[in-house]
This record gives sequence, structure tokens and C-alpha cells, in this order.
Amino acid sequence: MAPVRDTPFRSADMSMVQLYISNEIGREVVNALGELGLVQFRDLNGDLSAFQRAFTQDIRRLDNAERQLRFFHAQMEKAGIPLRKLDLDVDTLAPPSTSEIDELAERSQSLEQRVSSLNDSYETLKKREVELTEWRWVLREAGGFFDRAHGNVDEIRASTDNDDAPLLQDIEHNNSAAEVERSFSGMNIGFVAGVIARDRVAPFERILWRTLRGNLYMNQAEIPEPLVDPATNEPVFKNVFVIFAHGKEILAKIRKISESMSAEVYNVDENSDLRRDQVHEVNARLNDVQNVLRNTQQTLEAELTQISRSLAAWMVLIGKEKAVYNTLNLFSYDRARRTLIAEAWVPTHDLPLIRSTLQDVNNRAGLSVPSIVSEIRTNKTPPTYLKTNKFTEAFQTIVNAYGTATYQEVNPAIPVIVTFPFLFAVMFGDFGHAVIMLSGALAMIYWEKPLKKVTFELFAMVYYGRYIALVMAAFSVYTGLIYNDVFSKSMTLFDSQWKWKVPPGWEVGQAVTAEPTAPGYTYPFGVDWRWHGADNDLLFMNSYKMKMSIILGWAHMTYSLCFAYINARHFKRPVDIWGNFVPGMIFFQSIFGYLVVCIIYKWTQVWPGQQGPGLLNMLIYMFLQPGTLDKQLYRGQAGVQKFLLFFAVIQVPILLFLKPLYLRWEHNHARAKGYRGLGEQSRVSALDADDEGDNGHAVDGRRHSAVSDDEGVAMIAQDLDDEEHEEFDFSEVMIHQVIHTIGQFPPFVSICHAGKADANSV
Amino acid sequence: MANGWSIFIGLAVIVTMSAAAWFFSPKGENQVLWRSSLILTFVSCYLMWAITLLAQLHPMIEPRRSDIRENYLHH
Repeated sequence: MAPVRDTPFRSADMSMVQLYISNEIGREVVNALGELGLVQFRDLNGDLSAFQRAFTQDIRRLDNAERQLRFFHAQMEKAGIPLRKLDLDVDTLAPPSTSEIDELAERSQSLEQRVSSLNDSYETLKKREVELTEWRWVLREAGGFFDRAHGNVDEIRASTDNDDAPLLQDIEHNNSAAEVERSFSGMNIGFVAGVIARDRVAPFERILWRTLRGNLYMNQAEIPEPLVDPATNEPVFKNVFVIFAHGKEILAKIRKISESMSAEVYNVDENSDLRRDQVHEVNARLNDVQNVLRNTQQTLEAELTQISRSLAAWMVLIGKEKAVYNTLNLFSYDRARRTLIAEAWVPTHDLPLIRSTLQDVNNRAGLSVPSIVSEIRTNKTPPTYLKTNKFTEAFQTIVNAYGTATYQEVNPAIPVIVTFPFLFAVMFGDFGHAVIMLSGALAMIYWEKPLKKVTFELFAMVYYGRYIALVMAAFSVYTGLIYNDVFSKSMTLFDSQWKWKVPPGWEVGQAVTAEPTAPGYTYPFGVDWRWHGADNDLLFMNSYKMKMSIILGWAHMTYSLCFAYINARHFKRPVDIWGNFVPGMIFFQSIFGYLVVCIIYKWTQVWPGQQGPGLLNMLIYMFLQPGTLDKQLYRGQAGVQKFLLFFAVIQVPILLFLKPLYLRWEHNHARAKGYRGLGEQSRVSALDADDEGDNGHAVDGRRHSAVSDDEGVAMIAQDLDDEEHEEFDFSEVMIHQVIHTIGQFPPFVSICHAGKADANSV
Repeated sequence: MANGWSIFIGLAVIVTMSAAAWFFSPKGENQVLWRSSLILTFVSCYLMWAITLLAQLHPMIEPRRSDIRENYLHH
């Protein structure tokens, strides 16, 4: 018998397997299985914390290497060096050996040291450069002050002389009368020169003024170009200042204040010759520093360019290696036999592939001890594994965003492939725009490979959904034709069913109404183009679209409800059919199915006087006053409606109570026969006998063996306690069922809403 | 050309198409996908077409226009 293949209709059959792998090849095995991507490992060390696990050391080492790689990346971004992209389609990375990884870790270690030392020296040099530049500015600007001030020392003196102590006048006079050089020191005036950030100038001035009580003369000039702050790498505008003041103490105070305001004070000589020498010296030093700086930067860039060639590959390697060790941490390690034991879920049909992969790894390693794969039986619910291809992938992602089906339930993505794009198209409905969209989607599919590498996020998102866009666009072309809309214009594909009834003596601007061209002729495909642009176009379209929404919604829900039946039959749970599916379906059909039938019936009839019965009122009266009719749709309507309502209402208690009561009966029945669920943690141990002879726990059945220290019991408990096992709880089942029942009502609300809008329009 | 019977002709057409889709879907693990998608597509498109036709079968209102030009009165 040929094996039944897994189809996208249900999630794949899963088996729980136990793998016994020799310790030496654990890493290689996990690597190979990881490339396959078909195995989900279970955590066998749940009781161990992350630090106690066997391979934590390796992971920590890899973390460090990863951090170093990220550091390189950040450095490259800072220096503007592009990362050479890794094209995983073209060059595949061979699984690295342990020594290669070690080598990589060591290499990145040494590279990190080198890069950071280069960085450090670069920063020091940069700081030095800024200082020298500032000093040069101070020399230049302050020099300007001095040159100007020297021209009028006498004036300054005269002004000080006037209000200063006259006793000292002579002495000063004598001292400086025959001054060889007219200097400030002669006037006992000192000065402080430096640089301060421009936004601090005002507070700086104010503080100085207050502390020195105005005994100062401050001069400042703006530096036209911004200086780079080496700490933050941001440009800062600064001012040069020169402060003149009397006396050493005051000068010392000024210096201190300058420091506290984080101004840089530079040494400037008063003598212009000396100052010129200083300028020369500063310039020379600045040149040197800049040279060294350039060299350092070049070396750093060369180093980073070297790294950039292989950084992407390294990152992938380290990432994979880390994932491997994280997986290995899930395994339990048998020290005595030096084997790793793993438990995993695998798709049953892929077991041979996994066996052969393990065999391959074994052969390559030349190990005599084979890796063993043994299937084990379990009562755990397997994980849902849905295979996708490039077409279904995006649809499956949409469905997964809402929830994951239980193991082996019908995959909701199957109908979604059509219903989702179709409902989109019903709303989109423009032939012209749809053609544009279709060509876009087709272009993306035609140039699938080259476009895959586009990393622009917005485009990548559209690209991921290219097949959804394709189906959407194809349906939109169709709905556009039905709505007879191309760029909001109509197409006159067939003869209209209407012609204008021109009254005699018609004038431009007078309203005309249409009449049927031929009795019994209906526009064959889509909406008649005569409606387009008519005054009452909206009136007709609203009524049509609302009714269409109700019918399409009803069809969609009826179809989807059938999956409940398929699921119940697959899991052999007749109670789901009789307690959920059948009453749910009856309830739904006797109200909404009836509404849909009425809508279609109303369409098929000719209503005299152009006045049909309002279907919304009908539905409302059906609930509020069963038996009363606003206007009769067909004979015997009142009786039919009363019956349907009664039929629907009696489904509600069935929906609510049948399944919970059945489950309770089944549970009690099994209990009465002495069975109990595997999940209930009763003692099944042979050591039970010496348990102080109490048999109360047999009835209780919920006694936790976690409190027990008997090993025989613990073994069984260990296997079971990590998954929730439903002990029968009536209230919980009941609540579940109530939620399920309430879930039947939302369509009612939305359909009534649609109906209300419909009633407003016709 | 088109009247109430068109609905049933259309129905016959999509039933035939669905049957063809059922039998001629490519074999393999994606057969269920082909069948489900094709038949759903036919049914959805048919539903929409039929609803549109039914809505115009016995119209209760007729188009009315007051901005029409003389040349187009008899088109």
C-alpha cells in the first residue's frame, strides 16, 4: 500500500521519536537536522535553569563572539563602509567544524582589540587636534585684542587714573612713563584667555560680573567655524574670550570660574613676537597631529574593509552555531553511556529522511556506534505542522495571524485562498485599477528571483504577498466587469435593458426616466450601464450591494460551518455533530437561510405598484411578533415563520447543554466502571502498597505525586506533568459551550445592520 | 437574450466546470488545493453574476437622469 501523503488539507501526521546520539557527533547531528527543518525538539531539562545546562559555556562564548561582530558592524556603519551582502542562494555555507568556530572566535577577539585600540588612539588624537585648533583661534583673536589695545594703553590708563587712588598715580606714572614697551603688566593688569561654548557666554559673563563686582574687562570674538566636540562628535560653536583684570587673586578666581563653566583656558603671551612664535609652534603641532590622525583613520578603515568582506558570513555562522547549542541544551545527557537523548516531534512521512540524515552524519564522522531513532507512543497532542509552498505561504500566514488549528483539524487556509481575495474584490470592483494591480502582481512573479533581494521594507511586504495580490487582482477584474466599472466609467458591452422615455416637448435639463427596451430582456452580464450616472444610481446600487453582501456572507458561513462536520467526523466525535454542527446549522439556516431564500424569491417576482414587502420589517416582526406580517410575501408565510422561529429557538438549549451533559455522562460512566484518565496523577506504582494503607486517594484521584519521593512514581509523573491534562470540569466545559453558542450570534447583528442600510435605501 | 432561465444555464455551466476541475486537477499532494480553489472560484463568480442578474430581473425602480444631452437621448 502506498503511503498516504500529507496534503495541505490537514496538518501533517506527527510522531514522537526518541533519538540516541553519540555525544561526539551531537553538534553535527543537530546541524544536519536544523538544515532539514523538520524536527521539533522537546525540552527534557525543564527543571534545570538556563545556567545549569550542559552547553551554557559554549553559548556564552558564542554570545561574546556575536557581540564582537555587532561591534564591528557598528564601527563599519560609523565609518560608512558598506557590508558585503551575503547571497544565501548563491553561496551556501558549509557547516563549520568546531575548530573553525574556535578560530573565528579567537580571530574576532584579536580584531576587536585591534579595532578598539585604534579607536582609542583616534579619539585621543582627535581631542588633541581640537585643543590645538582652539588654541590657534585664541592666539589669533586675542592677538587682535592686544594689537588694538596696545594702541591706546594711555587712554585706558587715563580712564583708570581718573577715578582711581590719586596717591598711586605718581608711582605708576614713574614706572611707566619711560616704558620701553607699553605693557599691561606695567599697569598691574593680568588677563585670562580661552574658549567657551557660545551658549554659555551669557551666564559666564553674568557670573564673572557678580563675583568680581564689575572689576573686569571682557572681550570676546566668535569663532566662525564650528569645532567638533570629541566626546559626542557633534559640532559646537564657540567664542574666544579675553578677560582683563587687576590682581593675581582675581585672575585666579577667573580661571576657576572658567574651569567650572567648562571653558578651556589657553596660554597666550602678551608679547607679539612671542605670540607669533607660539602660533607657528601650534600650527606645526597641529599639522603633525592631523597627519597621524589621517594615518590612524586609514589603518582603521583598511581593517574594517577587510572585515566587511566576510562579516555577513560570520554572523550567519555564529547565529547557527548558537542555535545548535541552544537545541543541544534541550537534550538530556547520559554521562554513563556518553550519549545524548532527545525527544522530538517529526512528521511521520518524513521519518525515513530523518533516519537517512542521521546515518549520513554517522558515516561522515566514521563512528561505529549508530544513532538510534525510535518511535514512542504518547497521549500528548502533537504540534500542528502545515506544509506550505510559495503560493500558499502568504495565505497560511494570514490564517496563522488569527490562530493555529489543532492537530489534524481542517486547515482554514484552504478556503481562504479563494474567499479572502474574492471578498476583497467584491469591495474593490474596478476593472481598470484591477488590471494595473494584476500587471503589478504578474511583474513581481515574473521577476521573482531578482526582486527577492530587495530589502526595502514596504516593498518586501508587498512582495511577500505577491500571490495574494495576484488572486485579488484576478478576482477584481471579474468583479469590475460585474460592476461595469472601469476607472469609474461604464462599459457598453451589451445592449442596455433600458431606453429613455422622452416626454413630448422635452427640454435640456428636464429629467427623463427610462423604460425597458423589451419585456423579459435582462442585461446579461453585470450591472446595466444605463444606471451609471443616473440620479438614482446610488439607490439601486445600495440595495443590490447590501443584498449581495447578505447572500455572499451567508454562503461563506454555511460553507465554513461544514468544516465543523468534517472535523467532528475525522476525530470520531459524534457529539460534536449532534451537539454543535446540526443545531448550529439549523439555527443559522432557519433564520439567515430563510432570509436569503426570501431575498431571492422577492427578486424573482413582479411586484404590482413597484412596492414589494420590506424584508427587514419581515425579519424584525418574525422575532418581535411571530405571526404578524407587515405585507405578505407569499401565502402561508406566517405559519412558516412561526415554525422556523420555534425550530431555531429550540436549538439554543441543544447547543448549550447537549455536549456538556453528554461529556459529563460519559465521564461519570467511565468512572463508575473504575477507569480513570491517564493524565490523572494517581499512583500506579508497585510501591503503592506501603503507602500507609490509605485508599482515600483512589477516589480522590487528584493526588499529586509531586509530593511523593518514591522514585517509581516520580518516573511516571515526570512524563506527564509538563502538559496540561484536562481533568473533567463541568463548569469549564459549560463555559466553553456558552462561548461557542454566543459565537453563533455575531452574523445576526451584522446582517441586521446590512439590512437596516438596505431598508434605508429602498 | 438573457432572462430568468439564464440562471439555470449558468448553474449547469459551473457544475460542468466544477466537475471538470474535480477530475482534471493535477495529481499529487496539492490536488485538494486545486480542487477546492477552482470549485470555490467558480461558485463565487457564479453567485455574484447570478445575484446581479436577479437584482435586475424585475426591477422596482428605473434609471432617471436630468443631465442628459439631446444627442444621447436615443442611445
